[in-house]
Amino acid sequence: MQMPEPDADIIARRDSIVATLKTMLPATSVVDSAEGRRAYDADGLSAYRQLPLVVVLPETVEQVAAIMKYCHHEGIKIVPRGSGTSLSGGALPLADAVLMAMGKFNRILDIDYDNRCVVTQPGVTNLAITQAVESKGFYYAPDPSSQIACSVGGNVAENSGGVHCLKYGLTTNNLMGVEMVTIEGEILRLGGKHLDAGDYDLLGVMTGSEGLLGVVTEVTLRILQSPATRRAVLVGFDETAAAASAVGDIIAAGIIPAGMEMMDSLAINAAEDFVNAGYPRQASALLIIELDGPEIEVNALIDRVADLVNTAGASSLKISETEEERERFWAGRKAAFPAVGRISPDYLCMDGTIPRRALPDMMIRIASLSQQYGLRVANVFHAGDGNLHPLILFDANQPDELKRAEDFGADILRACVEMGGVLTGEHGVGVEKRDLMPIQFSEDDLKQQQRLKCAFDADHLLNPGKVFPQLHRCAELGRLHVHHGKMPFPELPRF
Amino acid sequence: MTPQHPQHLDDVLSLIKDAMADGAALAIVGHGSKSDWGYPVAEARPVVLDRLSGVIDYQPEELILTVRAGTAMTEINKALAKQNQMLGFEPPDLGELYGANNPSSNKGSIGGVLATNLSGSRRLTAGAARDFLLGFEAASGRGERFRSGGKVVKNVTGYDLSKLICGSFGTLAIMDEITLKTLPKPEATKSLIFPADDLAAAGKHIAAILATPHEPSAAAILPADMAAKAGYDMAKMLVVIRLEGFAISVNARADALLALYAGGDEIDDKASQSLWQLITNTVLLADSQGDIWKVSCPATAAPAIIQGLKDILPKDLPLRYYADWAGGLLWLDLPSQVTPADVAYGARLRQILADHGGGFAQLIRDSNITRQYLPAFQPLADAQFGLHKRIKAAFDPMRVLNPGRMHHDI
Ligand SMILES: Cc1cc2nc3c(=O)[nH]c(=O)nc-3n(C[C@H](O)[C@H](O)[C@H](O)COP(=O)(O)OP(=O)(O)OC[C@H]3O[C@@H](n4cnc5c(N)ncnc54)[C@H](O)[C@@H]3O)c2cc1C
Repeated sequence: MQMPEPDADIIARRDSIVATLKTMLPATSVVDSAEGRRAYDADGLSAYRQLPLVVVLPETVEQVAAIMKYCHHEGIKIVPRGSGTSLSGGALPLADAVLMAMGKFNRILDIDYDNRCVVTQPGVTNLAITQAVESKGFYYAPDPSSQIACSVGGNVAENSGGVHCLKYGLTTNNLMGVEMVTIEGEILRLGGKHLDAGDYDLLGVMTGSEGLLGVVTEVTLRILQSPATRRAVLVGFDETAAAASAVGDIIAAGIIPAGMEMMDSLAINAAEDFVNAGYPRQASALLIIELDGPEIEVNALIDRVADLVNTAGASSLKISETEEERERFWAGRKAAFPAVGRISPDYLCMDGTIPRRALPDMMIRIASLSQQYGLRVANVFHAGDGNLHPLILFDANQPDELKRAEDFGADILRACVEMGGVLTGEHGVGVEKRDLMPIQFSEDDLKQQQRLKCAFDADHLLNPGKVFPQLHRCAELGRLHVHHGKMPFPELPRF
Repeated sequence: MTPQHPQHLDDVLSLIKDAMADGAALAIVGHGSKSDWGYPVAEARPVVLDRLSGVIDYQPEELILTVRAGTAMTEINKALAKQNQMLGFEPPDLGELYGANNPSSNKGSIGGVLATNLSGSRRLTAGAARDFLLGFEAASGRGERFRSGGKVVKNVTGYDLSKLICGSFGTLAIMDEITLKTLPKPEATKSLIFPADDLAAAGKHIAAILATPHEPSAAAILPADMAAKAGYDMAKMLVVIRLEGFAISVNARADALLALYAGGDEIDDKASQSLWQLITNTVLLADSQGDIWKVSCPATAAPAIIQGLKDILPKDLPLRYYADWAGGLLWLDLPSQVTPADVAYGARLRQILADHGGGFAQLIRDSNITRQYLPAFQPLADAQFGLHKRIKAAFDPMRVLNPGRMHHDI
């Protein structure tokens, strides 16, 4: 993965940059020693490592604004970071960039039950939001598997999902407002405790922008009343195609489950070896379907779901009768990544989305690619929304295995796009899928996205080298071709 | 000027390029049902998108519908109904509201609904129009074709331009193919009505209900005059709660709420449907002589905002209004400004809103010439306005598309 050539001039000025940052922040909030910086040298995509120029740990919006203003003025790049759990390298440091870690923004500011929202600093973890409101029966719906560690600021930047987003949406559907700082050091408030604004939806644009448009310093999240009951069904299938059609049948029956997850044989057995969840080891596909809501509804629908999966050809079926049982059903799925980690020294987690009907074809394709590359793959899916997480097993100590695993992953993502899907459903583009963007988007599509970037950050100082395969200068992107050779209003600014 | 009716995105691109070459502006019209929202585009070439029409692909089990942006809402609703599905955000039909000034008013096109990010009563729980647009293909004001998003429900690849395009009132790009997320239609619907002493009590009542696990899909508040118009005789305030879902669940939740809160009543499916149409489609205020304002505010701020307005209105002029989205959406009828000397109630409204947690006040129907004196859209702070202008320039540098429809310079 080629990162932009570091700016030798900035690196040469490191000492004076550190000294200036120390005038803006308490000395302990500027981490400049090599060992201190090493703690920040990678995110969840740990195959890539880079020591940052320096790490800053601001704790007020004014400090963030001052640092941004200074960096903007001096042409110094900034990489924002939450908890560093990104799986796409979004928070990967750059040798010539200040890494701005938001961990000290760790307070929940306001819990407003009457308006059903929580105002929080961005460094607070996803799970802490639910923990703060659960005594009143509320929760925060998006629940990435990393929720004990990932920050809500990172969730906003990645537009993170989770197993419940089929019914409750991604971060963007549960976010009411942010305070953010632009690269110029301006503080903006987008949205708030009201539901809709009436201007350009900058809040929507910020969500999922992977730290390229601004630094989020405060977040307002919608909270929901917890459902009265949750029950799950654990269903084994001999045929993956039957499992896939069962998923379609459930939705076609008008039922939107709270979660609908699928695992393949290798994932089932790895999970079973690890946590003993009672999964059917001989099944070639396993579905975990969770329903939530009023008790009477859940009890009625769970029977309908059981009928539907039986008709579709289930080979085994268990319905949770107690909360412990439901949690046991989930235990294997939740432990799927670490379970796979036990059977292989390393793995790459992919994240494409396909139209659900393409699932059987995709399974065949992945199996044949697995043969071709000589690498095993365990499949875990958010089946309800067609979001795949193939885990490619490899050993980084073998000379070319990382490269082979990456090429394998790229081929899976190519297949996703070919089958009508997309490169990433929830983990983001980052550096990992950056060079694959032209598979999904044309040159003009990408240029239009970058023009939006230019409106926020004309000098490409925020998180450069991520998301876009090619950095075009904003002036070049703004050039217009007007036919008949006329160019009215030459005085208008254009980019 | 004779309106153009392009059939293909290529035709749209040519119209844009011609306008760029001639330094002209285009007035972008879907079906024209909401032309009175915002400002008319001065001296522009009208481009009507009614021929960019038709369902391209509909996969009900995938919850995916791909259509062209000029497709009539009536056609979309028909296709969805056949599969027992719907658009979750409950797009309102503002035909009654705009009907008086606009004889061509009908239910409009899906493109118009998205361009105004117009959502109905279920927005409270299901999300807004912008939450249901998954991807699109469009022509930018640069005369270039581009795509964003995808045709799957879960996607974070690249910037989410679907959000940006929703609510941009045709000022950034002209959409053609769009992909929407659909939802199953609820098997049953039931509404409950409760009396309340005043707006604050009504708001508290709804907040309490939303803190139970009984999952209302919509919650509105009608003062006595509005309730009477809808056919409900109430001494003070009427709280309306809608429950949707599987019949067995709707019945159980209705019973539970009626047991929890005394004085409630149940209305049947038919009555419930017509009541929510009056609310979502703003029919209750359609006959107003004044201006209609749409205010998005923190739900708990509604009583203070309404009180603030009552305090500044002349005593003989009762404030006509009602609230949806649990109090977070206020529909107001305020006196028009006919001369510069008249009170600018909209400006006062915006001040009151700012004093109570902020939000958004939009003049959505001007009965006279209020918008000549007062911005129809909430004015933006400097930094925000700067960003808006740069975004406009990024998509439409020569201001060909609907210049001035929202704000001057945009
Ligand atoms: C085991 C595991 C399981 C996971 N499961 C899921 C899952 O189920 N669903 C899912 O969606 N994701 C999942 N992830 C991915 C990851 O947890 C999410 O992307 C998460 O939102 C990242 O949050 P973070 O705080 O760690 O952000 P970081 O990794 O620190 O940063 C991520 C991106 O956000 C930017 N950023 C961070 N904070 C800010 C800020 N305040 N302002 C502006 N930009 C900022 C960074 O520049 C970077 O581009 C998983 C990761 C792991 C390791």
